Amino acid sequence: MPDSRLTGDRTHRRRLRSQTTAFAVIRGLSLLTIAILAAIIGFILWKGLRYDNETRSTVLPWTEAAPDGLAVIVNRDSALGTIEYPVLLGAFTDEYIDWSKIDGEDGDLLPLAIDPSTPDGAAAERLVFGGKDIAAWGGLVETLPDAASVIAKVASTPGTIAVVPATAVEGRKDIARAGLRRISVAANASALALVDNRQVDALEDGQLSGLLSGKTADWSAIGGPALPVTPLAPPAGSRLAAVLAEAGLGAAANAGSVPAGEAGDGAAREAAYLEALATRPGAVGYAFAEDLAAYEARGSAEPAAAAVDTGGTAGEAASEAAGAAEGIAALVRHGRDRGWNLTPSYLVEAPRLSGRVGGISTIILNTLWMLILTVLLAAPLGVAAAVYLVEYAKQGPLVRILRLGTETLAGIPSIIFGLFGMLFFVNILHFGFGLLSGCLTLTLMILPTIVRTSEEALKSVPRSLREGSLALGASKLQTIARVVIPAAAPGILTGLILGVGRAVGETAALLFTMGSDYKAARGLFSSARVLSAHVYLLFAEGISFDRAFSTATVLIFVVLAFNFAAKRLVGRMGRNAA
Amino acid sequence: MDAAMHKFDVENLDLWYGQTQALRKVSLDIEANTITALIGPSGCGKSTFLRVLDRMNDLIDGVRTEGKVLYDGTDIFGEVDVIELRKKVGMVFQKPNPFPMSIYDNIAYGPRVHGIKDRKTLDELVERSLANAALLDEVKDRLHKPALGLSGGQQQRLCIARVLAVEPDVLLMDEPTSALDPVSTAKIESLLDELKRRYTIVIVTHNMQQAGRVSDRTGFFLHGELIEYAATKDIFFNPRDERTENYISGRFG
Repeated sequence: MPDSRLTGDRTHRRRLRSQTTAFAVIRGLSLLTIAILAAIIGFILWKGLRYDNETRSTVLPWTEAAPDGLAVIVNRDSALGTIEYPVLLGAFTDEYIDWSKIDGEDGDLLPLAIDPSTPDGAAAERLVFGGKDIAAWGGLVETLPDAASVIAKVASTPGTIAVVPATAVEGRKDIARAGLRRISVAANASALALVDNRQVDALEDGQLSGLLSGKTADWSAIGGPALPVTPLAPPAGSRLAAVLAEAGLGAAANAGSVPAGEAGDGAAREAAYLEALATRPGAVGYAFAEDLAAYEARGSAEPAAAAVDTGGTAGEAASEAAGAAEGIAALVRHGRDRGWNLTPSYLVEAPRLSGRVGGISTIILNTLWMLILTVLLAAPLGVAAAVYLVEYAKQGPLVRILRLGTETLAGIPSIIFGLFGMLFFVNILHFGFGLLSGCLTLTLMILPTIVRTSEEALKSVPRSLREGSLALGASKLQTIARVVIPAAAPGILTGLILGVGRAVGETAALLFTMGSDYKAARGLFSSARVLSAHVYLLFAEGISFDRAFSTATVLIFVVLAFNFAAKRLVGRMGRNAA
Repeated sequence: MDAAMHKFDVENLDLWYGQTQALRKVSLDIEANTITALIGPSGCGKSTFLRVLDRMNDLIDGVRTEGKVLYDGTDIFGEVDVIELRKKVGMVFQKPNPFPMSIYDNIAYGPRVHGIKDRKTLDELVERSLANAALLDEVKDRLHKPALGLSGGQQQRLCIARVLAVEPDVLLMDEPTSALDPVSTAKIESLLDELKRRYTIVIVTHNMQQAGRVSDRTGFFLHGELIEYAATKDIFFNPRDERTENYISGRFG
């Protein structure tokens, strides 16, 4: 029998129960906190490592390096890897006048064309405009007599784009080639009729293949009108059939065939195929985007024309014409663009085009320089100030005011330090936007933290150590330098880590003082962009969210590495001391 | 006057912590190459007196002294380099206070701050000091290990060795064994006997047996006054003052 006074007592049980409850609440709250923090960090890391974006496009992702034996070439400065047909068309019809809407690059767009009266020129024109009768190069297009002169100009002039025979640029390193995406899924305009104010839009790959294979029997299954789906296959032996075979996009077995025209030649059969798409209600099939454009141009006199364009305008134009069941439109594909965001090359390449392309190597380098310089400036100053306050200053009202001042400074928003730094270091001292101005501003910003923590660390050094040193005949300075500061080193270092952690995450104060040049800093007065500023600028200027997250991930790892290294250092010191 | 025989001559020493008087008209002389023990209850001023001798009280705000303290005939409150004084008059504290560095660096600390840089001289000094403090055999394999890894008794002998390394004249010891176990205490006591031949030792102790065992002369402090100062034998077996007798026989304290 347990002693009732020890275990059976009711107050005791109640106390025990409330204790258990309190413990459960505390544990729950701490687990929740940890879970939230882990979720945040995990989210940033995941976003930083992988990108996953929605895309809407009238062309499929299949890329042709040499469409119809031609090549789209651009100046080597360009990061353009692939180009969608509607963009290519826009580039040659004055729809785009600079690169900003194409790849975000600065600079004017300079389209070049080969004289259309030459065979090369005619072939290029065929690729850009399809079989369009009215060749309408935009006013910005500069026409040069032959392919060689076009290639030479592309090689020498940034911002240029041209279509030339692929054989002429095979293996050339002084220009860059871009793949072309030009296969669309075209549908008869009748399929795009409005139903309850909605229409077929932004189809997933599965829905597209369902349509093309005939598995989807009726357009109403994907939000369209009640109309049977009629898949059409491109005529065998045609240009389109060959490209589709290469792309692995074979037409379904049950796809209806188009009567081979009596002429029997490829072009005529393709024309008949397009005609079938345009006229048979519910028809759907692959088509070259430029042929759709050509069809639009040819049919512009007819009422049932449909525009081929990026985004939804195709559908809108088509829906107007849907009643007539005549016309043709590219279906908008809803895709996902997925991949690794943070690749090794991202770490070792220099950034280009405001950081839209390339990596962040120079920015990591700048960050390291900033950290080193800031520590070199802030550590001696902060420790010296703390030593003065603890060891030398007469403890009185003056020291109290100084302490209040440092505490206040520690809480001041960094942007105010940034403003001060810009006025004082950049303008009054004429240091300009650069590493030095930025690091001096950061030093001012983190000094209060370092001073306060160093003070505490110095105060916690036992009096007996000081007395032991002084009793050996050491002077006060020797005692401080050789005994007190080493004994306080772990605490001082902790303060330094806190300060540096604040510095490495600083953005506002730096934009005003350090500048934002993403090239590697070449000296103390050279403008330099650091990781945190890069994240901010990528976000704020809408350059790339994906890259902002990648950079943020790197920043997290830099801070982590710094903390880890400092912890090891403190640990080693602690082992020596204990 | 046989002042030459006396390491310290203290005359009419008064000391105040702010308004509180801690020492009243203390006069005594300490003979060279002897062990002088200072005993008395807590707060009687014996530690304060000890700290006067190497001017460690300078570090405390609001301390005021009157009277004369002569070291080898020189007034230590006069124009004396306090660093030179502390070099000559070393001090071992109640609690072992090794610096957070290696054993070697602890011993070499004093010589180094006094300007000895030569590696060989330092090596010799460290070895000799450790030997004199009867610690060398225990630590010679780990001279470059942290001093804080030593046991309490070893740490205290390290602190003694550290003082010896600056080659002092006088050793002041402020209850050097009060934080130690009996075995370590015995080691340090036998060490004191050795050291007495070369150094003048003043030791403050709470432990009367210790005072009886190790010292040649004993001074009894009470409420800041030096009640009795005589040969240890006389203090313990033939006290002249009633208060001394009461303290020795354990009636208070």
